[in-house]
Amino acid sequence: MDNEHTPQIITHIEHNMNHCLFDCKWIPCSAKFVVIGSLPKGTGILEIFEITSGELKKVKEIERPVSFKCGTFGASSDVERRLATGDFKGTLEIWDLEKSCQVYITKEHTDIINSIDGMGGNIVNCGAPEIVTGSRDGTVKVWDPRQKGKPVANMQPAQGETRRDCWTVAFGNSFNDAERIVVAGYDNGDLKMFDLRTMSLRWECNLKNGVCFTEFDRKDIPMNKLVATTLEGKFHVFDVRTQNPSKGFAQVLDNSAKSGTIWVARHLPQNRDVFITCAGNGQVSLWKYKYPEQRFQVDSTGVAVGVAGKLQRLQRMVISSQPINALDWNRDHAGLAVATAYDQYVRVLVTTKLNLQ
Amino acid sequence: MDKAFELQRQVRNDVRTLQTYLTDLQNWEVEMKRKEAALNGEFEQDLPPVRSKARKEKPVQEKKETAKRIKASDYGAWEKFDVTDSWQEKACEEVDTAEVGPTSLDSKKSLPAKMEKLREEAQYEKERGNSFVKQEKWDDAIACYNRAIELVTDDAIYYANRGLCHLKKDSLHQAEADCTEALRLDPTYVKALQRRAAARERLGSLRGAKHDLHEVLKLEPHNADARRQLGAVVARMGTKGAKSKSSPTSESNPSPPTKERPKIVELPPSAGQLRQEEGAEQRWREGRGEEVTVIKPVKKPPHLRSKRALRHVPIQEILLGRTIVDKPATRLEIVEIEDHAHGDSNNNDSNKLKQNSGIDCDGDKNIGVIGDRFDQIDPNLVNSDKVSASMVAPTNSVQFILEWKSLKGNDAARSDYLSIIEPSKLPAIFENALESDVLADVLRALHAHPDTFTRHGVGEYLRSLCRVKRFSALAMFLSATDKELLRHMLARCRAAAQLSDSDVVELKHKYEL
Repeated sequence: MDNEHTPQIITHIEHNMNHCLFDCKWIPCSAKFVVIGSLPKGTGILEIFEITSGELKKVKEIERPVSFKCGTFGASSDVERRLATGDFKGTLEIWDLEKSCQVYITKEHTDIINSIDGMGGNIVNCGAPEIVTGSRDGTVKVWDPRQKGKPVANMQPAQGETRRDCWTVAFGNSFNDAERIVVAGYDNGDLKMFDLRTMSLRWECNLKNGVCFTEFDRKDIPMNKLVATTLEGKFHVFDVRTQNPSKGFAQVLDNSAKSGTIWVARHLPQNRDVFITCAGNGQVSLWKYKYPEQRFQVDSTGVAVGVAGKLQRLQRMVISSQPINALDWNRDHAGLAVATAYDQYVRVLVTTKLNLQ
Repeated sequence: MDKAFELQRQVRNDVRTLQTYLTDLQNWEVEMKRKEAALNGEFEQDLPPVRSKARKEKPVQEKKETAKRIKASDYGAWEKFDVTDSWQEKACEEVDTAEVGPTSLDSKKSLPAKMEKLREEAQYEKERGNSFVKQEKWDDAIACYNRAIELVTDDAIYYANRGLCHLKKDSLHQAEADCTEALRLDPTYVKALQRRAAARERLGSLRGAKHDLHEVLKLEPHNADARRQLGAVVARMGTKGAKSKSSPTSESNPSPPTKERPKIVELPPSAGQLRQEEGAEQRWREGRGEEVTVIKPVKKPPHLRSKRALRHVPIQEILLGRTIVDKPATRLEIVEIEDHAHGDSNNNDSNKLKQNSGIDCDGDKNIGVIGDRFDQIDPNLVNSDKVSASMVAPTNSVQFILEWKSLKGNDAARSDYLSIIEPSKLPAIFENALESDVLADVLRALHAHPDTFTRHGVGEYLRSLCRVKRFSALAMFLSATDKELLRHMLARCRAAAQLSDSDVVELKHKYEL
C-alpha cells in the first residue's frame, strides 16, 4: 500500500487529568465521553467531557468513595444511556448519568472487577440486555439489569482449583435472542469461551502469557473473529467461524512488535477487519486482517479446519509515554476515538483515510 | 529532487485530509448536540426474558411474567422514566408493588365496586400531587399524577395537572402532549387549553397557541389571563417575520384574524378575486371537484402513536400545465405541516397515508392548490406571485444561494425574495459565504425595485450588507456600474430620509465610493 492511502493517526486533543485513569467510553449518540478513574486519595471518579471545536469541556463529575475500574454502555439503550461500572471492591453499579444517581447496585464479587462488557441495549433481536464482569476473585458473572441483586449466570473454578485472576471478558455471537457467548482471559494465559445458551464451556486454550484483553470483531453476528492480546507484546487473532473438534480455531499470532504488554485491541465499528492495538510503550498500531482465499478446508476425515488469514499493519504511532490502558472508537463518527493512558492524559485521536479497500 | 517534491506533495495531501476530517468533526459535534437534544425519552423495547427466569420457571408462569413486564415497559414505564431523584426510584418500586393490586383487580373489572376503589385511590394520589404542586415539588407531583393516571386512565384532570408540572419543569413537549390528552378527554377543559397555549407559545408554535387561546375565549369570554396571553402571542407573531405570515394556512384557525391577511398577499388582487381565491382554497381544502382524497393531519400524544417504522412513499413529479412547481412548493408544504401538527415536529403518523389514486405524495397537494388558486388570476402575475407566495426566508447561505439561483432572470421575484429577509439577519445568513457576483446581483435587485422594500427600506439592507464578514474585500471587487447603482440608491435613501447624512457618509466609505 502506498503512502497515499495510509491512514494517519493524530492526537486531536490532549488533556491532563492529574489523577489515574482506567477507562473511557463514548456516550452513545453524543459528542461526549466518560472517563473512569481514581483520585490520589483513593476515591473513584467519573467525569463527562464534551468535545467542542477542538477542546474538551467538562460537563459533569461524580465522585464515589471507591475507585472505579471499568465501565460500559453496552447494556443500555441509546435513549437511557446508562453506564455500568465495576469498582475496586467488586461492586457493579449502573448509573443514570443525567441524574448522577445509581439505578442498580450489587456487590457479588469479592475483589476488584477488572473488566466489564455489555450487550443487548441498543440492538434489537440480539438478546436480553446483559452485563458481564470479570474479577480478581476468579469468577465471571453475567447480569441482567432487570434482575436485582443476583447474577443470571456465574462462571467460577470448581471447588479446590486455584482461582485465577480474570483480566478480561467480552460478549459475542449474540446474533439472535438465544445465542450468546462470553470469552474470558486469565492471568495465567487461559482463554475460555463460555456458551450462555447451553451454559457450558465451549472451548479453551492457553496463550502462555496472561491475557490482557479480548474482543470479538462484532458482538451481534455469528462469531467471526476474536482478538486476544497478551503480555510481552503478542496478540492472537482467531478465526472463530470454523471450530475443529481437535484443533479448535485457526489463529494468527503477531509478536513482531517489541512493545511490551498490549493492553487493548478495539475493532473499528465501521469495519470489522480493522482494529487498533494499544501497547505498553504508548504506541497505537492499526491492523487489518486479510482473509485467506478459503476460510476453511476439509481434511482427510471430512472435518472442516479453519484457515487463518494474515495481518497487515497499516500504521503505528507513539502517542503516550506510558501504557495506553483503554481506547474506545466512536460508533457514530468513523475514525474518532478516545484513549486514556497511565501518563494521566486523556486523548482524543482521529484516524483519517479509514475507508480502505 | 523528485523525491523531495513527492514528499512535499504527500505532506500537503495529508494535511488537507486532516483538515477536511476536522471540519467534518466539528459539523458532527454540532449535529450530535442537536440529535441529543431531540432524544426525548421515548422508546420501547421488546426484550427477551431474564436468562435465569427463562430457565427456572415453568412455561405457563413464564408467559405470565413476560406479559406483566411488557405492560410495565409500555406506557407506564415510559411515564416512570421521567422521574428524577433517588427518592423517586423508591417511589417507582412502590408503584411496581402497588400495581400488583390493580392488575389483579383488573381481571374482575366487571365489579363496579372495584372500579370505585381504583377511582378513590387515584383521587388520593391526585390530592397528594396537588399538595406537592403547592410546595413546588414538581417531580414528586408528577410521580403522583403518574400513579393516578395508571389507576384511572380517562380523567382529564390528572393529565392537565401533570401537564402543568411538566410546564413548570420546562419539559414543554411533554406538557403539550399531556394537555392534548386532557383535551381529548374533555375538549372544554379551559385550564388544559391555557396550559397548552403556554407550552406552545414557549415552543414557538405561536399559531397553535393562538388557536388554543381563541378556544379559551370562546368558552370563557371574560378570561382576562387568556386575553393578555393572546395579546402577547399576537404581538410576538407580528414580530416573528415573514415566515409565519407567508404561510397560506393561517385560515385553518377557526376564527382567523382578518387583519393579518393583507400582509400575506404580495400583489394584492381585487377584493372579488380575494374572495374567489379563498373560496378556491376552501374548495381545495375539502377536495371538492378534484379527483383526490383529502388527508387530514392526525394529532396524537406520543404514547398513542404508531410504533411502526415510517413507510417510504415514492415521490413522483406531476406537471400541471405551465405551472412548474419544484422546490418552493415543497417548502410551502413544510410550513403547512408545522401548522397542523401544532409545533409537534415528531408527529410520525404519515404511515396513515394510504396511497390514493390522485395523490402520490404530499407535494402534489401543493401543486393542486397552486394550479387551482392562480388559474383565476391574470396570467402575467402568475409567475412572480407564485414564486413569492411560496418563498421562505432562508436561514443560511446555502438556502439563499439555491433560491437565488432558481430566481435567476426574474429580478422582480428576486427583490420579493430579498424583501422577506430580515435585513438584520443578512450577516448571519451569509456568514463568510457571500460572493462578489451575488453581492452585485443583490445590489441590482435592491436598486431595480425599491418599492418592494417598504417594510425595511433599502438603506437598512445596505447597512446590513456592510456587516457581512469579509465585506471590505468584497467591496473592492464592486464594478463601476455597481458603484453607480449604489450612489443612486444612497441618494434615494437620503431623499426618502431612510438614512441620515452621517450614515450615508459611512456607507459611502464602506462601499468605497
